[in-house]
Amino acid sequence: MKKSAWIATAMAAVSAALVLAPIPSRGQSAEDAKKARGEAAKAKRIAENFKLNARTLTIFDRQGKVVTTVGERGMFNVPFFSPDGRRLAVVKNDQEKETNDLWVYDVATGQGIQITSSQRRERAQAPVWSPDGSQLAFVAVRSGNFGLYRKHANGQGPEELIYQLPGTGNPTDWSADGRYLTYTSSDLSGGTIFAVPLTGTGERKPIEIFHSQFQLQGGGISPDGRWVAYTSNETQRNEVYVRGFDPTAPGSGQSWRISREGGSFPYWRGDGKELYYLAPDQTAMAVEVRAGAAPQFGVPKVAFRPPGIFPGPASVSRDGERMVVSLGPNPLRQITVFDRQGKTVKTVGQPGLFIDPSVSPDGKRVVLTRTDPHTGNRDIWTFDLATGKGTPVTDDLPADGNPIWSSDGKWIAYTSFRDNGRNNGIYRKAWDGSGQEELLFRTTPGAGMDLSDWSPDGKFLTFATGALSLVQLHPNEKALDRKAIEWMREEYDAFGGRFSPDMRLMAYEANPDINEIFDIFVRPFDAAKPEAPLGPAVQVSPADGFGVAGVIYWSQDGKELCYLTADWEVACAEITTAPGLKVGIPKVLFKLPARPQGDPDHWLSSRDGQRFVFAMPVTAGGSK
Amino acid sequence: MNFRICALVAAGLWVVAGVAWAHHNMSALFDFNNRVSLSGTLSKIDWRNPHIYLTVDVKGDKDGLETWQVEGPAPSFFRIRDISKMDFENASGKMVKFEASRARDGSRTGLLRVMTLPDGKLVSACPQNC
Repeated sequence: MKKSAWIATAMAAVSAALVLAPIPSRGQSAEDAKKARGEAAKAKRIAENFKLNARTLTIFDRQGKVVTTVGERGMFNVPFFSPDGRRLAVVKNDQEKETNDLWVYDVATGQGIQITSSQRRERAQAPVWSPDGSQLAFVAVRSGNFGLYRKHANGQGPEELIYQLPGTGNPTDWSADGRYLTYTSSDLSGGTIFAVPLTGTGERKPIEIFHSQFQLQGGGISPDGRWVAYTSNETQRNEVYVRGFDPTAPGSGQSWRISREGGSFPYWRGDGKELYYLAPDQTAMAVEVRAGAAPQFGVPKVAFRPPGIFPGPASVSRDGERMVVSLGPNPLRQITVFDRQGKTVKTVGQPGLFIDPSVSPDGKRVVLTRTDPHTGNRDIWTFDLATGKGTPVTDDLPADGNPIWSSDGKWIAYTSFRDNGRNNGIYRKAWDGSGQEELLFRTTPGAGMDLSDWSPDGKFLTFATGALSLVQLHPNEKALDRKAIEWMREEYDAFGGRFSPDMRLMAYEANPDINEIFDIFVRPFDAAKPEAPLGPAVQVSPADGFGVAGVIYWSQDGKELCYLTADWEVACAEITTAPGLKVGIPKVLFKLPARPQGDPDHWLSSRDGQRFVFAMPVTAGGSK
Repeated sequence: MNFRICALVAAGLWVVAGVAWAHHNMSALFDFNNRVSLSGTLSKIDWRNPHIYLTVDVKGDKDGLETWQVEGPAPSFFRIRDISKMDFENASGKMVKFEASRARDGSRTGLLRVMTLPDGKLVSACPQNC
């Protein structure tokens, strides 16, 4: 789609949201008004999300040239070519209904047919074409259960339940002889590739082809039905492997590692002589396959390199001549420093894949999460704001994130999933990457954690798991013995806790009234009694607005608390504590030229409140 | 909605499991292949983030009571589905039916899939818990 067209679409979406957003009127009950405000906030969010994240189905040839685009922009997932390459099956998200449904698009005309029609908050996912292209298999949530279904690819007829899944799973391929449908299921206990027989009568029982203690994805069956290609994270990152596929003797045979430096989503060429997979930078790689009693695999070579960085979910046609990408927006961000009036003071270094910038206490550096555009590794880096020089703090395979500074500016604390994604911990390392990292706290296996602050006295970390939690860093306590304290565990979400400089208050975000609207609150904190807040919450952001996007900072003297509004404005409120806790009317300092990237719950300002640092889209104002 | 949650929702387009706050990973604690269907008296409700907990007294084999603790999604999961804490409070002390995935440690703990309240209201915890 032409740029002007998608801008028009986005504007229409925003306008529609504003028109559709119900406005509370005189005579409405308080409950009605609340509901209307929540719906308006949701409509606004949907319009913005579409504007920022909608993708275009784009087909490339092996030279990286765009062959065609298909249909209109949409919230698309991975598109898959039909066996004859004339249609695309893709999952499209409907934000309003909160559904995912399968669509089939004609490559030549761009016409789309909706294949599945999920009820509100149901979904269909992971389409797989039948060998003759007449049907699609997929997983869907129907009446509260995940099931493996199939349906005609022209959208006609009912969905046929093939197998009721006990948990979740994703179909991965349909054997060329039509006899088996493969699916994978992974959880913390490991991953399994199953084959469901499609022939015969009676109850279908999946055959376990291969179980691993590691997470498995994919499961493409070779055209001769002898091999299955899949992704495993056994080396701490995703790599592509091939092993025997024999439903009559499951679990047998050796495996071969195909990718060398990361890979996922393997597909076989129609004649079985080439295997494709996506490298971490989403380049499509091709590996020659020589048939035999044991197959031989060549060295991976670049087959398709679509332009841009991390262009979007993609797959390759059966003849290996086309790659289709759900082409998304440019993910590059520029570290940008704004003054208190919103003027761009400077840009720092080169654009990169940056999120979560956080300014050091002395205002000289920024720490952020950087994704390597080639390896896909997510590490913590610091950048000197004066010179733009970058320094890696971490350089490892596990994904690191949520970096925050210690109050003395010597350390960076961050979260990282280790042990193949099993354990999430909070670690610390020197800001310049020197020395060894130290584990400070580990949460329960598999659980997520949003680290948001390190107390000024260095004795507490605060993070969210839905409850706003603390961990106390007793010096003589081992990291694995440290327990989380649920400072606020409420009926609503609370997160993003930030200590005031004197540690007598905690600011945080929460949605106590309306599910869709988060506001900023402050409550008394006592380090001697960290089990719970010592007083009621006082709201900082306006009670009748659309909420906030995050807490930015406490000023060094604790008299000002700034936050980012839902409209990407920097607003600040005066805080007084004597004689009692009081919050002034927030004033907007400036509006950002575009939506920044990352988590605004991190320090984004110098402690004097004069400089604000954001990771801005490279095409927006403030970065050029 | 918070920026981070917006980002997660957007990212959630590309992942299988739903996004949700959690104390722990569900599949680490509960076996989705091992389900139990029981009836009993709803005796306690803990309606807080990131998971609600429901205590149900189930009649055991030898006329004794077996106390089951059933974990459900966060209150916000129910809030957007027009199911309130009041629905459960009205069921307190009354018979409920539920289906849950059993804890891997064999304890009388389960991850809620579906609960039928005394007034016939069907409360599904899917797709989050199935």
